[in-house]
Order: sequence, then structure tokens, then C-alpha cells
Amino acid sequence: MPTSSIDWRAVRAAAAFRLALPRTPVGGRIGERLGSGTGSSLEFQDYRSYALGDDLRHVDWAAYARSELLAVRLYREEVAPRIDLVLDVSRSMAVTERKLRAFGEVAGLLACACASTVADSRVITTSAAPPRRLHRPEDIEPVLDCAASLSAFEETHLPFRRRSLRVAISDFLFPHDADRLVSRLARDGASLSIVQLTLADEAEPVVEAGRRLVDVEGRGELDLVIDDAAIRDYRARFNRLRHGLANAARRTGARFAHVLADTPIRDVARQLAAAGVLEAA
Amino acid sequence: MTFATPLGLLALLAIPAIVAIHLFRRRFPVRPIAGLFLWQDPRQTPVEGRRVARLPITSSLILECLAALALALILAGARVWTAGVNQHLVVLLDDSASMSAANAEGESARDRAAQRALAEVERLGARARITLVLSGERPAVLAGPAAFVVEARSALDGWTPAAAHHSLALGIRLARELAGQQGKLMVMSDTTPAARGEAEIAGALWASVGQPLPNVGIIAAERTISPDEGRGTVSLTLGNYSRSPVRRRVAVTAAGKEVLAREIELPPGTSSLTLPLPPGLPLIHVGLSDDALARDNSVVLAEPRPRIVGIENRLQEGRGREALGRAIDALSGVTRAESGHLAFVEGRDLDRPSAPGVWPVGFGRAPETWSARGESRNFAGPFLLEKRHPLLLGVTLGGVVWTGAVPLAAGAVHPLVSAGDQALLAVSALSPARSEPAVLFNLDLDRTNLIRSPDWPILVSNIVEMRRESLPGPDRWNYRVGEWIRVRLGRDPKGPLRFRCGGVERTLPAGRQLEFIAPSPGGPLQILEGDEVLFEIGVNFLDEVETDLRNLATADVGEQADRAGLRAEGGPASDPLFWFLLAIGVTAIVANWWLLGPGRAHG
Repeated sequence: MPTSSIDWRAVRAAAAFRLALPRTPVGGRIGERLGSGTGSSLEFQDYRSYALGDDLRHVDWAAYARSELLAVRLYREEVAPRIDLVLDVSRSMAVTERKLRAFGEVAGLLACACASTVADSRVITTSAAPPRRLHRPEDIEPVLDCAASLSAFEETHLPFRRRSLRVAISDFLFPHDADRLVSRLARDGASLSIVQLTLADEAEPVVEAGRRLVDVEGRGELDLVIDDAAIRDYRARFNRLRHGLANAARRTGARFAHVLADTPIRDVARQLAAAGVLEAA
Repeated sequence: MTFATPLGLLALLAIPAIVAIHLFRRRFPVRPIAGLFLWQDPRQTPVEGRRVARLPITSSLILECLAALALALILAGARVWTAGVNQHLVVLLDDSASMSAANAEGESARDRAAQRALAEVERLGARARITLVLSGERPAVLAGPAAFVVEARSALDGWTPAAAHHSLALGIRLARELAGQQGKLMVMSDTTPAARGEAEIAGALWASVGQPLPNVGIIAAERTISPDEGRGTVSLTLGNYSRSPVRRRVAVTAAGKEVLAREIELPPGTSSLTLPLPPGLPLIHVGLSDDALARDNSVVLAEPRPRIVGIENRLQEGRGREALGRAIDALSGVTRAESGHLAFVEGRDLDRPSAPGVWPVGFGRAPETWSARGESRNFAGPFLLEKRHPLLLGVTLGGVVWTGAVPLAAGAVHPLVSAGDQALLAVSALSPARSEPAVLFNLDLDRTNLIRSPDWPILVSNIVEMRRESLPGPDRWNYRVGEWIRVRLGRDPKGPLRFRCGGVERTLPAGRQLEFIAPSPGGPLQILEGDEVLFEIGVNFLDEVETDLRNLATADVGEQADRAGLRAEGGPASDPLFWFLLAIGVTAIVANWWLLGPGRAHG
């Protein structure tokens, strides 16, 4: 199994982005982002009646002067967003050297974006192991071994945090129900971004002669003559899969981007920004 | 297109086999992928099992079928040349010595036969084939079967007819088998079938290319020696097969030196000539001056070494001893000796051990171990004789009164003459204790009239000759070509045995007695044990029929039947289609291997 070797210089050159935050408030510990609850930021949120024990500094004395009612100013809380970066480290992501390299670069790009977001970032690769905290972008490299026989997205439960920003990277080349999958990923999350990474051959295969197709994740093998008819059928199924993911993402308010492996990382960053996954830092 | 071996077309069955393999088990290059389910049509794997898919016409399938087709056609011997029929001429060459007889111009029937055979095959076309068969007691193929003309010409150059007179029947049978239904048959001889006593051959041409010639030759030769007189002789029978007397010079040479020469005049017909020789000469060559046939002008003769039988007469004084002495004195090649080869003793002494190599012959009462209870009896016949035994050759026992025969124990001896149940003359069985046979005359020699009958000297002579036959050495010292040579070693060989005669050298099976046929063309023959020469004998042509050249004739008898000829079964290079198919087959195999090789983008 090939191992990832990320060209961090190229990745950092393309990483002038951060994760796009949703307009709705996000959950998290005290930080720089506005939270969903009240807090101690400077942004005014609401009034409420004074209760015993409230900080007198927050009493709106001007309002008391007008109405003789003690009202307390409520301010929006400021939080550090929680980011759950879900990586598919199954063998399908390393089916070729090119795909593995592209996977490493996209994962690195998103890790850089997480770092630029100043968030509590964790990397999830499986439900069997605790998520790995992402202190710096290089921390993502050890998880990219791509030796698992099953994609994390095929597992029934992933250790997501509530109200977290979720970013999922996979080729999604496994049998699935897109609506169910995306709903499961988006449940209790603040946002969901789906990045589908495939080889150009996987998206647009070309006519070949007979081949014994062997699934790298052990899902069987098939002797097939890759002719026009087979290509036509494959493209129809692949597009159905991709459109299913995109439609399911649209229905749940998630963002979806399809990235081809041989695309330069700078163009990938622009493509993800165009899809709303990233935004300028 | 024709096929040399149509059965090879069975190889075309490989094509449906290849198609079946492609249908049910395609050996495609492996390609690892992700998302196999996207390639799978759910209809491809129905619940009830796999269905036969439509046959994919792939490059691999096409190449493999092409290779199978090409190789099958090669195996079937596909040919594009339609003119693939070669005429086949089978020529039986008379290998008898008379074919070598040359006329005044030096031309022989052999020369004419060779020219005629080559002319016949060339007349049949440039691609005609020829098979040359030599006649003889053991016919042999000189060239071929179905040889090219150039091969036949080379074989004919080395052909030297030298065989003794023989029937061509065996050669004709072999030639017919070689000709089969396709070949034409031709017999080349120097006489007509009628003169040779052969029947005409249906569908074959008998070409006689002989020419009547006068000839003188040695048709019989014998060398004798008389040790008593201390001289030897050479007796020659010479045949003058011409109409007038001729003069010839006879020369005898030994060890390269001329021992004797004599000018003789031979009348037409056969003449005898006896030449005296000093004893002790090694092999001698007797030669006549040259004439038409050189083969019969010389003989080589070895000096015979008679096998003297040593005889000891130990009988008691009396009529019997005297009669035996007289019979022995009448024999030649015997000598009186103690512990010789034969010992005539009293019958009761037969169970005593005798010296090695001594055959005891007992007269009178048998030893007690051989006897049974009972009184001696006389017999006047009838006698039962084992006539095939060499001891009884020429013996009748007519009028003989056999006296004093005592009963013998059953199984002690093997009876040769008996009267009723009584064995009268018997030989002892060989056993580990007795390596030499013993002969028992169960009779009272002093009272019988056997010693006065004509059978008596015959019996004694037979006993002596039996013993002489068992002595080591060849039966004779000079043989004709083709005769059986029998040599008794008298012991186990100490090394590998072989014989050498002229250019012929063959190994002989190990044994106490050697038997083989005197090889042609004859000459001095040495029998060797390892590198040691055991015996040297003479082998000579001596054939009166072949010496007589007066009946040779030139004539063509019969006519060749039309035959289909041989199919042109040349080598691979003979037909361009072979190379074309081979190129296609090899190219298809290589291309298929390249396409199906690991890592190839196209297959």
C-alpha cells in the first residue's frame, strides 16, 4: 500500500482559505466566533428582566430610567468552532499512487483551512478509534495510511460532536443511500461539507479490452470487456451516485464538491471555495 | 489446397475450445479498482446462477483462433502446390556376381543397369523419386525409399555386385512392398526371367542388360594335408565356359610369395587340377589370370588341421580286444595314446573316475551301481535302435546275436539299443560327478558275433567320429560364401568373440560353439577372442552358376503398369504456404502474449 507524501509547500501556497462558517451560530468553547448562546461578547443580543445575581454591569440603566424596570442586556457568546474532519482512509483512496497523492493534498489543504479557522479540529477516520486532535496541519499526515478495508462513512456511528463543522472527504465509491448517508453525517452538526475525490478514470473511464476488475477493498472481482456499452453503463451509475450525493447535500443544506485527482491543488482550493466549502481567510 | 495429413485437421478443434475458454473463463489482465459495484450490472449475476454471456470479440480471441487455425493447417500438411505428385520408381538390382562381368571394352552389366535405372527415373520427370533394392538372400535397400536422383546416383557409384547365385523372389517381394500402389517396379538383371528360372512379374519391367561372355573360373577348391606323408595338395575344379580351349596361368602364393605357378590349357567344360604343396604353409591364395569375371579367379585356402583322436585300448586280451584293434587300425585320424580322447575299458570300470577329456567306452558287465538283479541273457533281435543318435548312424544289427546282457538299473543310463526292456547299448547321463559321457556295450564281447558283423567297424568309427566332433576347432577350414560356419571352442570364452573377414567385422555371441554364415565377399576369415586369433579359415566365392556367363542376355520383358505416383511430401521448405502459416501462427502467439502481458494497456 503506498503511503502519502504531501507536498506541504504546494499545499500551504494554496491554503489562503479557511473553512466557510455557516451563518447560523455554531457551538464551541469560548473563542473568537459568535456562539449560538449568550455570552460575553460585545455584540448585543437581547434584553431580559433582571434576576437576582445578575451582573449589575449589564443592567441597562437607561432603560430603567425610561421604564423603571430593571432589564439586563444580553450579549452574544463568542466560541471557538468545533471542526470534525472525517477522512475515508480505506484502500480505495490509494487505488493508485496518483489518487493517494491527491487525497493527501486535499486532506492537507483542508487541515490548513482548519488551522486558519482557529477551531477545535479533530480528525475522524473510524468509530473504533478516538478522534485525533489536529493541532497543526502536519498532524493529519500519520492517518493517511489508507489501509482500512472499510470506509468510515460505511460505519453506523461516527464520534461527531454536536454543533460541529463537519467536513467529509471520500470517493464515496461504495454502495450507499446518499440521503441516509448525508442525513447521518449532518445530524446535530452546524454544517457539513462533502468533498468527493475520484480519479479521472473513475469519473470518465475509457474503452479498453477485457479486464479482470478486482475491488481493492475485497468486494469481489469481475471479468469484463470494457467496451462502449460497459462505459456507458458505468458513467450512468457513477453520475447517479454523484448527483445523489449532491442532491442529498442540497436537501440537508450541506455543501458538495467533486474533485478530480490530477487537478492542481491551487485549482482544488478555488474549486472548494466556489462550492462554499472554503472561504478566503 | 491439399492436405498431406488430413488427420491434422482435428487440431481445428482447438478453435471451439478457445471460444469456450473465452466464453466461460476469460483470462483478462487484472486491474485493481475502487467501486466495483459501479461496473456490475445486477442482471449479470442472477440469483439462479451465472449465464453464458455474449462472446466478446476481443483481440486476444482473434489472435488465439488465428494461431490455432495456422497451426492446425500446418499439422494437416496444407499445400498450395497442386502438382504435388512425384513418380516413384523402385528398381530391384540383381546383386549377383555375374553383373560385374566386363566385356572387352570394360563395360559390365552393372554399368548398364546403373545407366538404365538413372535414365528411367529421369524420364519420369525432374521430381521423380527412386528406390534401389539389392537382391540377395537378404535383400537390402541401397538407396531410398523414394530417394532423390542425386542420392541414387551416389549409391550406384558404390554398388559392386558380388553375391553368389540366388533367387530374386525375396528381392521382388521387398521391392513390391516399397513400390506399393504408387510406385513403378523395374528389375535390372543380366538374364531373362526364363533363363533365371523366375516367373515374369505382372506390372513390372524386367530389363536384362547382360551380354554373353566367355569365362573361366574356379568353381570348387579343396586343400588337404597328409601328415603321414608330409605333404599337402590343392585340388581345383576349373570351369571353362567358352567354346574353345583356353590357356591360363595358375599361381599359388603364400604370405605374399609365389609358391607355385603353372600354365595350363583348359578344354571347354570343367577340368580338375591338383597341385602339390609343402605342408605347414599358412593361408594360400590361388589365382587365375584375368578374364571377364574377376570374382571367380581367385580363392583363399586355409591349411586344414585334422583333429586327431587319441585312443587307448584297455580291454583284456581276447577276441574282443583283437577285433577292436583291427577296427581302430582301419580308421584315419586316430592315434594310440594313453589318456587320449577315447578309452575302451572293461564295463565294470566305467564308474571309476576317468582323466579329464577322456570318454570311456565299456564292454561287458556294467558296474554294480548301474546293474540290477538278474541273470545275463542273450538276444537275437529284434533290436530297438535310436537311429537319430550319431553313434548308430548306418547301424542295423541285422543277424547279430547280442550275448551276455545283464539287467541294468532303471534311470542309470540312457539306452540307445534295447531288446524288450533290456538296454544293450547305452550312454551314461551327465552329472556333476561326471563331465564326460560314458558308453556301455552291455555284452560279452568274446561270445557275440557283433565283432564279425558289418556293424562293428561302423560302430567303432561312429564312436571315434562322435569324439572327434566334440574336439575344439572348426568343422572345416574352407567354406563357400553363405555357408554356415560351425566352430567348437570346447571351453568358455575368455573374452569377447568376433570374426573379421575382409571389410566385415562382427561380434559373436559368447558360447562354447560358434555358428555364423560365411560373409560375402569372402577371403581370409579370422575368429578372434579378444585380440587373439583363435582360428583362421578361408571363405571363397565358388559359384558355378555365376561363373557361367554364356546365358546372359539383353532384353526387356514385361511392361510397367501406370501408377499414381507419390504425393509430393517434401520438407517444410517445399511449400511456401507452410512458411506463411508458420509466420501467421508465431506472430499471433507473440502478439497475444504481448497484449495479455501484465501492465499492457491494450489486450
